[in-house]
Amino acid sequence: MSAQIALDVMIGGVITGGLYALIALGLNLQYGLMRILNVAHGEFLMLGAYLTYALHVSLGVNPLLTIVATGPAALGVGLLLHRTLYAPVLGERATPQAVESRSLLLSFGILFVAQNAALLVWSADLRGYSYLSTPLRLLGAPFGANRVVAAVVALAVGVSFYAFLRRSLVGKAVRALMQDPDGARLVGVDVRRVHAFCFGVGVAMSAVAGSLISMAFELTPFIGLGYTVTALVVIILGGLGNVLGSLVGGILLGVVETAAVYLVEYDIRPIVSYGVLSLILLLKPSGLLGR
Amino acid sequence: MGGIGGDVTPPKAGGDPRGDPAPPGRPERWGVWGAISGPPIFLLVALVAAPTFLSSHARSLTVAVLADVCLASAWALFSGPTGYLSLATGAFFGAGAYAAALTIGYLAWPLPVVAGAAVGAMLALVVGALALRLRGPYFAIFTFGLAELAKHVLIWYETRVTGTVGRLLLAPPGPWTLYYTVLGLAVLVVAVAVALRKTSWGYALIAIGADEERAETLGIDTTRVKVLTFALSAAFIAASGAAMAPRWTYLDPQVFNPLVSFQTVIMALVGGATSVAGPVLGAVFIGLASEVLLLQFRYVYMLALGLTLIAVVLFVPEGLAAGARRLRGRRRSPAS
Repeated sequence: MSAQIALDVMIGGVITGGLYALIALGLNLQYGLMRILNVAHGEFLMLGAYLTYALHVSLGVNPLLTIVATGPAALGVGLLLHRTLYAPVLGERATPQAVESRSLLLSFGILFVAQNAALLVWSADLRGYSYLSTPLRLLGAPFGANRVVAAVVALAVGVSFYAFLRRSLVGKAVRALMQDPDGARLVGVDVRRVHAFCFGVGVAMSAVAGSLISMAFELTPFIGLGYTVTALVVIILGGLGNVLGSLVGGILLGVVETAAVYLVEYDIRPIVSYGVLSLILLLKPSGLLGR
Repeated sequence: MGGIGGDVTPPKAGGDPRGDPAPPGRPERWGVWGAISGPPIFLLVALVAAPTFLSSHARSLTVAVLADVCLASAWALFSGPTGYLSLATGAFFGAGAYAAALTIGYLAWPLPVVAGAAVGAMLALVVGALALRLRGPYFAIFTFGLAELAKHVLIWYETRVTGTVGRLLLAPPGPWTLYYTVLGLAVLVVAVAVALRKTSWGYALIAIGADEERAETLGIDTTRVKVLTFALSAAFIAASGAAMAPRWTYLDPQVFNPLVSFQTVIMALVGGATSVAGPVLGAVFIGLASEVLLLQFRYVYMLALGLTLIAVVLFVPEGLAAGARRLRGRRRSPAS
């Protein structure tokens, strides 16, 4: 592989990985903090993407600006879901195992509901629109401008949330709960509110990622699960509850996938992500970067 | 099987909960089985005599529901007592179907089903040895990922290497042969589930579900019990796949369907995965709904399935069988 090709793969990988990082960050907030394994995570991405599609196609809104609508709307949905479904399950004095499996089943229920509601509204046809599809040259290699913009915005959102967690008092509470739930309760962290906040933000990040993805890729109501699996691979790669790990792991997976697609063919992509997932789970269930 | 046979004589007692022949001292989880063990015998006799009165449409509906009973009961053999949430059902089902498709031209009929069961058991031994040290959601994700990995590798292999996308099943056995195969499997799975509960093996499984470390301390070889039961469960799931394969004349890798995995979990949990009757009831309930609604109102059905799952998790986490029992108020405390 010549240096130019290696460089292309690297840049392409970072562009793909930027979106992966944002998607994984949202899931990690939910799993790392509450042990909610939200397999419906990708469905919120799908719904965000369709919302952007609808706003752009019917009202002519700039796709990038729709983030202002999809983010808060998804935050509201997330808060509502947490309040009505997850909080009752989390609040019970059940074993952690029971909480984990029950919240997993709830997410499966949401997945079915969201996907089929989308199928009823938008049908299974491919949907898409053209936005910023002119090629942009990065260090000699052409990439779609929409993909570059999507990756840059995704990384900006991800990094600023990371900074928010490091700097603000709310962020301190979140990190305290991740490290030691009992200790955090002792110093007066309002567990229920922090949980609701993190679940809502996780959903919002997924929906924003969906808005960005709709600028560059075609949509079907089935795209969600693939992104959920990708996010799972990334958070297991980067360590559960490790926010920085999600950002790094996302970019890492993007590069690995791009290299595999380049070396073999496009069809190899799902084999790579599921293969990496199985391998990491077997070799190091705590994640490559640890906690 | 002895327990079922013993309760046949007072059939009128079956319909009336008050007349339940189970003595009050018996453990609570046998209750539902005791209460309905009269009707199952009638049902079984009716199912065996079915060729005399069943139309071909009703037959294929019955076969589909019986296959769901096989899947849900086989899944609950392992995942019910241990609490390990397996999402590999679709993979074992697909492996069994493929095994049948590949052997059906060379082996006389029930043998492809046996071949399917063997393939499922072997796969599960490998997967189980690798994955059963993972706990909680990790195990669920791993089994799910593995099923998807198997599907995508198979698709890739079939299109790139063998140059086909599917397999034709030539000369399938007659519909009534298939009917009795699936019926036999369903009876066998339920019988194994009943028998298992009365053995020390079954208690070992419950102990693993309650507290695995303690079970280990008590001298249970937890790895052996888990892996072998997982293989037994997978053998039945794969046998169901093999028995159902001839119903489709054409088989492609999409038979590794994650929906099979999810639907099986939902059926078992809706009924209640820790009892024998639970998965059977759940499979009949959801299996019938899916057969009637899936073709005509696919999206609405799946949406309702999701809502059902959410409602069950929130309101009757122990399943409909136990929920009904609680409503009847015969005994208070839910089964542990």
